[in-house]
Amino acid sequence: MDIIVCVKWVPDTSEADLAIAGGAKDIKKDDLDHDINDWDRFAVEEAVQIKEKVGGKVTVVSVAPEDAEEMLRESLARGADEAFHLWDDAFEGSDGYAVATILAKFIKDRPFDLILTGTLADDDCSGQVGGMLAAMLGVPNAVLVSSIEFLDRKVKFKKELEGGLYEAVEMDLPAQLSVATGLNEPRFVSIRAVRKVASAEIPVIDCGELGLDESQVGPQGSKIQVEEVAMPPEGEGAEIIGGGAEEAAGRLAEILKEKGGIG
Amino acid sequence: MTRIFVLAEHRLQKLRDATWEALEAGRKLAADLGGELNCILLTDNAAGMADELAKECPKVLVVEDPKFETFNSDSAMKALAAILSDKAPFMLVMGNSNSMMDLAPGLAVALDAALATDCFAFEVKDGRPAAFRQMYNYKVNAKVSFKGAEKIVVTLRGGAFPFSSGGGAAGAVEKIASPVADEAPRKRFLNYVEAEKGDVDIASADIIVSLGRGIGDEPDMEIFESLADAMGGVLACSRPIVDKNLLPKYHQVGTSGVEVKPKVYLALGISGAFQHVGGIKGAPLIVAVNKDAKAPIFRVAQYGIVGDLNEVVPALEEKIKDLKG
Repeated sequence: MDIIVCVKWVPDTSEADLAIAGGAKDIKKDDLDHDINDWDRFAVEEAVQIKEKVGGKVTVVSVAPEDAEEMLRESLARGADEAFHLWDDAFEGSDGYAVATILAKFIKDRPFDLILTGTLADDDCSGQVGGMLAAMLGVPNAVLVSSIEFLDRKVKFKKELEGGLYEAVEMDLPAQLSVATGLNEPRFVSIRAVRKVASAEIPVIDCGELGLDESQVGPQGSKIQVEEVAMPPEGEGAEIIGGGAEEAAGRLAEILKEKGGIG
Repeated sequence: MTRIFVLAEHRLQKLRDATWEALEAGRKLAADLGGELNCILLTDNAAGMADELAKECPKVLVVEDPKFETFNSDSAMKALAAILSDKAPFMLVMGNSNSMMDLAPGLAVALDAALATDCFAFEVKDGRPAAFRQMYNYKVNAKVSFKGAEKIVVTLRGGAFPFSSGGGAAGAVEKIASPVADEAPRKRFLNYVEAEKGDVDIASADIIVSLGRGIGDEPDMEIFESLADAMGGVLACSRPIVDKNLLPKYHQVGTSGVEVKPKVYLALGISGAFQHVGGIKGAPLIVAVNKDAKAPIFRVAQYGIVGDLNEVVPALEEKIKDLKG
């Protein structure tokens, strides 16, 4: 089973205090930690687990700036066989469509049975790249995949629907699946595993080497454009109970008691 | 004239709420863009559903094909690409449901259309639409334009466009021969699978203590269990807690988990992304404790404490025990 995993390098915004950058086209990212997109971490782990079970090769690829090399190296430490770093300054500002265009160009002439990625990226929350990439390569796709098994030249998987319901689906290979978080437990990466891949070569491939024209990537190659970003209006909001932990907890306990929150 | 197409979604021979919400959004867009409003229904059997849609929409295009008994993004993509290929300029509107998330990106490529997903509002200026959606863990609002595209696909945030019946004369139902009648789908539905049921039913709990990512990577679960016990409530959680195997899936609140309707919902370390908040129905008392003062949960909560859970939670348990005497 040859599996290509597409991963994204994103700012960690889950707990961070965010601020809008000058020009209001984006947030301030310089002070934010970056890491592999949480959903994609599960995709890498799933690919490695499949390889461990049925054999094959795992290739990890990302359209990401220079700093993202550590994410690709960590993917190797997790058990991927090779990693490719697609970057060119012209890629800056690519939307999901442009990113899918770049990935499709890279994958087009490579043999693969399965392309895995995460369902959503925590930065743009769009969920576009997997399905677009599948359509560009002419293979079927599904998102929110929560378990995967292989039959002869087919893949059988469970997909999350709403309200705790799932559907079992069968799909011809080659295929593209975007995974849900929680479908496996991403492994702990040992220092030994990290050392082993410390000198592994991770080729960086630019726009020209991919055979792409600059008009196909970046803002020019994008289908949509972010015009403005803003923090959502505060609205009514919660009444914040001040004071130290003790004092606030005391006041909260009284509110809970009054509202039937103590049974 | 930009035509508006609304894609209907159904399950078990019943139209889903997302269909009506998409129709609501489509109506407004049709009015703002001055175009005709059409609904598209892909199904194995249109009986009932087509007429139901026609009551609210001037024209319903129906494709009947056994492949569409259940949702099949592979066949739907090919059928819609064939139906819409010569209809530009148009905007295709659909829910951002877990099923439609399979369809929209590939369809946008097949149509060479611009796509914005999970939109919660639209604006039309000088005949050009823009969409509003969220980014960065749903903490930031963004206005997105389509660069003048003549073909646009949008998916909608669940609950953002509440439907109200329009009345008026019934629309026309037009049947279209299935463009995929002779194609074998590469993707095949097998069966539905119900989620595992556990020893706790959070859907019927009155008091819920719910845990989110903010409880940290290696939390002391005992302090939360102990607090829930003191309150006479049950533990629930958001998705990351299930992903980390700290609680089983049947404790997960949200659109992809369980919908709950408690009297009191105490959210600990929960940021409050819409998928989670969408699972809290009715008008309960929501109280949140989070170290991030800007967490979206504080916008839906009535009371909040900005602070460290390791300090607040044990203190709260103690105070509650004092009050109980």
